[in-house]
Amino acid sequence: MWRRGRYRRERILLPGEHEGRRGFLKWGLAGTALLAVGGGTWLATRRTRPLPALGGPFQVLSPLEATVLLTLAERLVPPREGFPRPMDVDLPRRADAVVALAPEATQNELRQLVRLFDNALTGFLLDGQFHTFTDSTLEQQDARIAAWQTSRYALRRTGYKALKKIVYAAYYGSPKVWPAVGYPGPPPLDASERPQEPAPKRAEARHAEPKRGEGAPEGAAPQRPRPRPAAPAPRELEEIPAPRSGMDLPQGGKP
Amino acid sequence: MSESAPGRIVDAAELRRDAEETPDVCVVGSGAGGAVVAARLAARGLRVVVLEEGGYYPPEKVKMDEAWAFPALYQEHGQRATADLSITVLQGRAVGGSTLVNWTTSFRTPPRVLRHWAEVYGVSGLDEKALEPHFQAVEERLHIGPWPLEVVNANNRVLWEGAGRLSWDREVIHRNVFGCQNLGYCGTACPVGAKQSMDQTYVQDAVRDGARVYAHARAVRLEKSGKRIAAVQAQALDSSGKPTGRKVTVRSRLVVLSGGAINSPQLLLRSGYDPSGRVGRRTFLHPVVASAAIFPDKVEAFYGAPQSVASHHFADRGRGKVGFFLEAAPAQPLLIATSLGGFGALHEEQMSRLAYANGLIALSIDGFLPEEEGGTVSIRSDGRVRLDYPIRPEIWEALREGNKALARVQLAAGASVVYSFHENPVVMRTESDVALLDRAPWEPLRVGVFSAHAMGGCAMGRDPEKSVVDSRLKLHWLDNVWVVDGSVFPTGLGVNPQETIFGIAHWAADHIASAGG
Repeated sequence: MWRRGRYRRERILLPGEHEGRRGFLKWGLAGTALLAVGGGTWLATRRTRPLPALGGPFQVLSPLEATVLLTLAERLVPPREGFPRPMDVDLPRRADAVVALAPEATQNELRQLVRLFDNALTGFLLDGQFHTFTDSTLEQQDARIAAWQTSRYALRRTGYKALKKIVYAAYYGSPKVWPAVGYPGPPPLDASERPQEPAPKRAEARHAEPKRGEGAPEGAAPQRPRPRPAAPAPRELEEIPAPRSGMDLPQGGKP
Repeated sequence: MSESAPGRIVDAAELRRDAEETPDVCVVGSGAGGAVVAARLAARGLRVVVLEEGGYYPPEKVKMDEAWAFPALYQEHGQRATADLSITVLQGRAVGGSTLVNWTTSFRTPPRVLRHWAEVYGVSGLDEKALEPHFQAVEERLHIGPWPLEVVNANNRVLWEGAGRLSWDREVIHRNVFGCQNLGYCGTACPVGAKQSMDQTYVQDAVRDGARVYAHARAVRLEKSGKRIAAVQAQALDSSGKPTGRKVTVRSRLVVLSGGAINSPQLLLRSGYDPSGRVGRRTFLHPVVASAAIFPDKVEAFYGAPQSVASHHFADRGRGKVGFFLEAAPAQPLLIATSLGGFGALHEEQMSRLAYANGLIALSIDGFLPEEEGGTVSIRSDGRVRLDYPIRPEIWEALREGNKALARVQLAAGASVVYSFHENPVVMRTESDVALLDRAPWEPLRVGVFSAHAMGGCAMGRDPEKSVVDSRLKLHWLDNVWVVDGSVFPTGLGVNPQETIFGIAHWAADHIASAGG
């Protein structure tokens, strides 16, 4: 491991390693420089899954990138009773759809981050692991995630945060996960009971400064909420019930 | 009154050719500032065009689904954050702006904040008395009133009960709702039109009085001519937010920028306007720390009005300290999963108990230390906006003490276990465990920090070298441009900002009309 320490300090240009000192390492979200240095596959093989097994084709992600994200998701959400596996919720496709909304520069940064995270040379230099992330054992994978999570370099923690957010948004955004977390989903609406355009109602004047002391503010008549219908069983959200009768606002016309 | 064709909302995504408008006023942004100004100026008979980069989502188009709402209704598709991702920033992007997706909390501006602005920044004429009639007017129009304690949801009741047992100040929150069904989906936009967001209120008023509102039209450049802005150039966007290639050009006598604390500075900087180097400076975020508690009984913090109780017990902690206030946050799965610290089995364990979880937040009141400069909005070389916010030691201290206060409230209210939002979560089961937070790391990206209150960046003040707009919200160096949104605050506020923006916009409209009318 002596090599690892020496490389870290002296030789290799890694995200965050020279933060603030090397202009070319001023990345936006995740950075790019290492790929140019060590982007080869010479240290280890990768296990890129075939597109159909990933639920592709994708708008942005390559099969390798989707494989890395799926492999990461399998560790961020390890197997647990009642929790669907990431592929059950079509995670690579969901992640791809979110990434596709970003500006092209952000997409490129994210894709580079994903490849950097998988990169064997990165793993070797930073964590002493000779493998790509996708080709590591589960324990090694967890160790690599933790190394990024707890790195003393803020830029690496930024990379971890970006990856984590994509994966968890894609996974927990799926209604298929709701039963596992005890979320019954949105309640049914009774749109017909929506109040019609109300006549403006005078609110009482009230104290401007946040009130000290307890007790509900006096004076203004509180509104009564309508009772909420019992929550239904989880469902996929496809349609939304009956629109209200609203203002007739033409859209899409030419000015 | 306007003699022109009736107003309407136009979806610029569907424009087949470039559009040109020559109204009296161009308002950029349709949120808490822009909608109120647009309505007030339209009511005076001025011809108003509003440019809004987001889409128009009336209640029937809204889905109570986070996976839909964050990409559709939030800035940067829900991904807005500081450049290092250490602070997640929630901001709306739609007709109605953040009011479409906020949690309806409505506070008037604390008078001590207005006094501070007058004393330190030379803001004149903006005091409690001047604002009073304007607050009354917006409270009436938006049905702002207290939420009844008996229907406060279990999540907010934790704050009510816990603060009560600790003998801390507490209050029920005033909300801008009418006919609220207490569903809990404010953050994904109200599906029943009960929230009195701008798209349902002042935008409709403006349209009724002849304003034309372009949705999916992103203002990208101000064209200067002498000491005036002669035109506002906008790109038409498709429904996913990508430019369609069509343009909207607005040439108006008056220009009002109401894009919020990130986008108003962004537009000025993109247009090369920054005469004294103050645009995009002094950005304040009310940086937030969160705490999750598991209770023996179901809390179902995903249902019910999301924010209805507050405690300002620690708002004023004395000289040299940053104050904070306490509120609740709803616990729908995507928001919580992407906010919790850690990964793997512990994260999953916390998620598995979501129905039993209570979420509380402490919001630090930034901008009041003499040497405090807050964050910075700038433009990257590739054109994207960039937000930086170095968290000062005094803010970290407030976040740590705020987290301790939240844990105390939760334990006092009967929580079985409390988790901090650290990457290695601090686990607290008894009051004595709260001290563990003193030893936890308070550094970027080792603990979750959030913001839903972007403020500053076009600060008002007397000195043109130290501020961006004057006390009437007009740009110091130009004759026909005003900024009316949260970006004009010289500091944070200490309360949720929407009502301050409503009130100031209502007040500012009179000055704009008389200056330009």
